[in-house]
Amino acid sequence: MERIESSYSPEEAALLMRLKVFVTMRWIAIFGMVVGTLVASEVLHIGFPTLPVYIICAVIAMYNVVFYFQLRAIGREKPGTIIHKARTYGNAHILLDLLALSVLLHYTGGIENPLIFFYVLHIILASIALHFRVVYVVATVALVMVGLLVGLEYAEVVPHVNLAGFADPTLYQSAPYILAVLLALAVILYGTTYMASAISGELRKRQRQVVQLGEQLLEEKEEELEQTSREMARLAEEKERFLQFLNIAAHDLKAPLTAIQGFLWVMIGGYSGDLNDKQRHMLERSSKRIAELLNLISDLLDIPRIESGQIIPEMKEVSLKQAVRNCLPEQRRVAREKGLRLSVELPEETLSWIRGSSPRIQQVITNLVGNALHYTEEGTINVRVIELDNDIQVEIEDTGIGIPAEDMPHVFEDFFRASNVEAKGTGLGLAIVKRIVEAHNGRIWCESPCPDSNQGSRFTFTLPKASKEARRQE
Amino acid sequence: MPKKILVVDDDPDILDALTMILESQDYIVVTAQNGVEGLANLKAEMPDLMILDLLMPKMDGFRVLKELQDPRWSKYKSIPILVLTSVREEASRRRYELETGLELGVDDYIEKPMPPELLLERVRKLIKN
Repeated sequence: MERIESSYSPEEAALLMRLKVFVTMRWIAIFGMVVGTLVASEVLHIGFPTLPVYIICAVIAMYNVVFYFQLRAIGREKPGTIIHKARTYGNAHILLDLLALSVLLHYTGGIENPLIFFYVLHIILASIALHFRVVYVVATVALVMVGLLVGLEYAEVVPHVNLAGFADPTLYQSAPYILAVLLALAVILYGTTYMASAISGELRKRQRQVVQLGEQLLEEKEEELEQTSREMARLAEEKERFLQFLNIAAHDLKAPLTAIQGFLWVMIGGYSGDLNDKQRHMLERSSKRIAELLNLISDLLDIPRIESGQIIPEMKEVSLKQAVRNCLPEQRRVAREKGLRLSVELPEETLSWIRGSSPRIQQVITNLVGNALHYTEEGTINVRVIELDNDIQVEIEDTGIGIPAEDMPHVFEDFFRASNVEAKGTGLGLAIVKRIVEAHNGRIWCESPCPDSNQGSRFTFTLPKASKEARRQE
Repeated sequence: MPKKILVVDDDPDILDALTMILESQDYIVVTAQNGVEGLANLKAEMPDLMILDLLMPKMDGFRVLKELQDPRWSKYKSIPILVLTSVREEASRRRYELETGLELGVDDYIEKPMPPELLLERVRKLIKN
C-alpha cells in the first residue's frame, strides 16, 4: 500500500485508509470463499456446484484490482477534492459486492446458507466509509436483494440450489422459516447500520472538530503575531519620533545659550572694548554658569540617545590604543597645569579591535581620566590598557581623595555626587559613562581605595573584542 | 592683504559675535543667514574660508556641502570649509553619509560653543594652508 500524503485533511486521509482496508478485506473474503468452498465440498462433502462460486470469486477479484488502481489514482490527486470521488467509488463497489454476494448466495443454497448473514460485514464496512444515509440505502438494497432471491426461489421462478447433505432440500419452501430468517437479517442489518454509522459518524465529527480547532488556534496565533509586529512597528516609529524630538529640543535649548556664551566670550576676550576687573569677573562667572547649563542639557539629552540605541549605528572597528592616544594631549595639559604625573601603559603589541563608537569611547576615557585629575591633588594618574581573552580592559587609577565606602554603591547613579567633594559637574558623567560602556556590551566598576596602593580609586571597564565574523562584515 | 571669511549661520547673534571676534584679527567678514545666501556670497566674494553652520532654514549646511560636490562648483573647491555647529560631529557624519552616500569632506569641524581663542587658532591654521 502506498503512503497517504500528509497534506490530506484528517478526514480525507481516514477515508482513503478505510477504502484501502476495503480492498484488503475483499482479498481476504475471496480467499475465505475459495477455502470455504473447498472445505464444504471436499471435506464436508456438501453437494453444490463449485464452479459458479469460483467464477464469482474471479469476478470479485477483477473489480477489486480495478478498485485498487482507482484508489492509487485518487491518492495522487490534489488534497481537498477527493472525498466525493472516493465515496462514489466506494458506493459502486459495495453495490457490486452486494450483487456478487447475492449471486453467490443463489449458488450456495439461498436461504439454507447460514452465511446469509455475511451481508452484515458489508454494512459495517459501508458505515465506516460512507455517509450514514447511504448506509441505510445499502442495507435496504441488501435486504431487497436477499428477499428477491429467496422470493423468486420460493416461487420457483429461479431454480433453487440445495446444499446437499447440509440442509433439508425443502427448507426453501418453508414460508415461516424464510420470513424468520429475513426478519432476523433485517433486524441485524438495520441494527448494525445504526450502531456502526453512529460510531463512525461521531468519529468523523470529532475529526472535523480537531481540524477546526487546529485552524482556529492557527488563526489566533497568526492574529497575535500580526498584532505583535504591528505593535513593534508602532514602537519603532515612536522611538524614531522621540529621537527626532530630542534632536530638535537639544538644538533649540542650546541655540540661545550658545549665542549668549558667544557674546560673553566676546566681552571677556576684550573684542568689544575694555572691561574693568569686576565686570570681567562677573562675565566669567556668567559664562561658567552657561557652560554648566549647556553641559547639563547635553548630558540630559545624551541619556535617552544612548538608551534608545542611537550609538549602535555609529559603531565601527575601533582601536582602544588609538582612542586612549586621542584623549591624551588635552589630559596631559591638565595634568601639567596641576603638577600631576599622567602615566599611560599601552601594550607593545597591536591590540585586538573592538566594535564601538570611537567618540563615545573617547568620551568614557576623557571622563574617567578627567575625574581622576580633578579629584587628585598630588601623585600619579595611571592609565593601563590590557588585552584579556575576550575583552580589552582599561584601568584608570589615581592617588586622589578616593570614594567614601557608603558612596560606593551609588557612584554610577544619575545626579549622584560623592559626599566628600564639592559639586562639580552635572552628576551625570559616570551615569552616562556606564550607559555607554553597557551599550557596547562592556562592564564597568570601581574600587576605592585601590587594592594595590591602598589609596585613591580605580575605575576599570572592559569592552568585548570584535568577533572574527563581525570583522569580516566590515 | 587681509583675508576674507564667509560666515553662514541662521542665528544673527552668533553672526555678530563671530564677526566681532574675526574682525578683531583684521579678517574681512561676510555673512549669510542660510545656505542659499551662503552659496551666492561664496560666488560673489570668493572668500579664503567659509565657516558653515549645519542646521539652518531654507537650505541647510548638509545641502550646501552636497551642492559643492557638483562640478559646477569646482572653481570653489579649494576654499577651506570649517563646520561650526551644535550638532555632534559623529551624528553629522552619519547623517551626511546616509543622505548622500558620501563622506563628510570638510576641513575642520567645531562643536559650538567654542572659546574665541581656540576658534581663532583653528581659523588661522586653515587660512595658512
